[in-house]
Amino acid sequence: MAVLERVTRLLNRLFVFCGGMFLVGMILLTCANIACRAVWEPIRGTFELMGYFGAVATAAALAFTQINHGHIAVNVLINHFSPKTRRCLNAFNNATCALFFAVIAWQIGLKAHGFMQTGEVSETLRVIFYPFTYMVAAGCGVIALVFVVDLLRPLRSGPGDPP
Amino acid sequence: MSAAVVGLLGIAVLLAVLFLLGMPVGIAMAMVGFGGFCYLVSFNAGLHMLSSVFWDTFSTYGLTVIPLFIFMGQVAFYSGVNEKLYRAAYKWVGHIRGGIAMATVLACSAFSAICGSNAATAATMTTVALPQMRKYHYHPKLSTGAIACGSTLGVVIPPSVVLIVIGLSTEQSIARLFYGGIGAGMLLTLTLMATVVAVCRRHPDWGPVGPPTTWGERWRSLYGALEMVVLFLLVMLGLFFGVFTPTEAGAAGSLLALLIAGVQGRLSWKGFLASVRDTLKISCMVIVIVTGAMVFGRFLAVTRIPFDIADWVVGLPIPKVAVMGIIFLIYIIGGAVMDALALLLITIPIFFPVASELGYDPIWFGVTITVVTTLGAVTPPVGATTYVVGGMAGDIPLEDVFRGVAYFLPAYIVCILILMMVPEIVTFMPHLLR
Repeated sequence: MAVLERVTRLLNRLFVFCGGMFLVGMILLTCANIACRAVWEPIRGTFELMGYFGAVATAAALAFTQINHGHIAVNVLINHFSPKTRRCLNAFNNATCALFFAVIAWQIGLKAHGFMQTGEVSETLRVIFYPFTYMVAAGCGVIALVFVVDLLRPLRSGPGDPP
Repeated sequence: MSAAVVGLLGIAVLLAVLFLLGMPVGIAMAMVGFGGFCYLVSFNAGLHMLSSVFWDTFSTYGLTVIPLFIFMGQVAFYSGVNEKLYRAAYKWVGHIRGGIAMATVLACSAFSAICGSNAATAATMTTVALPQMRKYHYHPKLSTGAIACGSTLGVVIPPSVVLIVIGLSTEQSIARLFYGGIGAGMLLTLTLMATVVAVCRRHPDWGPVGPPTTWGERWRSLYGALEMVVLFLLVMLGLFFGVFTPTEAGAAGSLLALLIAGVQGRLSWKGFLASVRDTLKISCMVIVIVTGAMVFGRFLAVTRIPFDIADWVVGLPIPKVAVMGIIFLIYIIGGAVMDALALLLITIPIFFPVASELGYDPIWFGVTITVVTTLGAVTPPVGATTYVVGGMAGDIPLEDVFRGVAYFLPAYIVCILILMMVPEIVTFMPHLLR
């Protein structure tokens, strides 16, 4: 459990760093495109690169957002439930969300594998883009891990601890 | 079971998952949409749809506008811009009765022009404006009510994440929605300020007169707010004249905000990193909800429920204004129990076709429902903005904050009624757009 938690934390930090780099990259690329368009001609492929950068930035932040409780939930009723009921519901949520994101990671991974096998390239730049698809799959995999850690944490801390 | 029944069942299951399990909204929508799609089509088709929607939505160029505008707002937030804006507004209207509360609303309105987040506006305005209002013995209900309600302008005045998401999900021009939001935001600012005047007329001791300021001080105070005016003008004029796409406006605005903050030495490295982290977190939250809504939308499209409901509503023997009134009522109630963005994304596939069928301008509808749902940000039981103000106000009980907010609720209703009677307030500027 401790190892899993450490691995998840490490992966999360790595992905947040990646996401931040891609976010800054998006700003610089778009501004460079505006400048180049004004004085000469636009940077080819900005449109599709922005899409790929955005995909990686979002997927990289999935786990970080979950760890910081950034994903919006409706807690109007939940807050009135007993701690035991809330623990059960949390466990159910974490288990289903972990499974769901594992399925998404697996499916997007298959998609990336398909892009790699067929040598699919982007429309404008004619370059491979499966690494971005793999990174999105990995981002979904890391959030699945976060849910697994959240699911297992109460088992380690004991049933008497607050949820 | 017919597809329509499965669709209705899907909506019921979604509500149960949201309210009884407390699952994150975006994930819940994706999960229920996936389950319903698998049931109606096939499991393999469901798996394929799920991966396609996630990859396609995450890599859509249109969505890249979200992190860029959020980053611009975060940079402004971490460089302490709203302190300057508040000081300028305070110098201009602080000397009249209730003036500091009005200055707070004006500062919120100005900060909204660069930051589309209610929570960020509420947090900083509580820090900046509340001590001033305490110093001049403003009543806690008036001071906290003005901050909480003023902060809701963040999602109405462009650039607004909610307007961006409405634009993307209804395939309307984001630039037109932004320009529509200016009229609605200004009207809401005026009705909120009028509320301060009305409250102070009834309770003169709630908003005592502030210290007098000279004209020289007032003009000098504008200097501190000037760069933010430049930033706002760059974004809005660039969009107006077609120089930028919304994404480019967000990127240019972000870079300019960084340059301004950097040159003035107001943004530390720590602040920059915090801006990046917050941007990633907020934009990821928004994009996950959008993606979940896309998956749920695919399921609803298979059931044809949105179209059936639109046909049914249009055929009802009641005036279209009454239909719109009912829709707004649903949004007001819905907004009180769940986040505005999530509510809009769940309901837009159903209500947008209805509004279109009834002949309402899509830009007007998008902007007006933003005003309607923003009401939910200050009303119990959810009222996220009120909780932020209550949490940061410390010694002021949350009940008093909610009571203070209650004084401002008629301002929203008046604003919505005016928007219904004079839709040109919203539609005039978007129609001038190239």
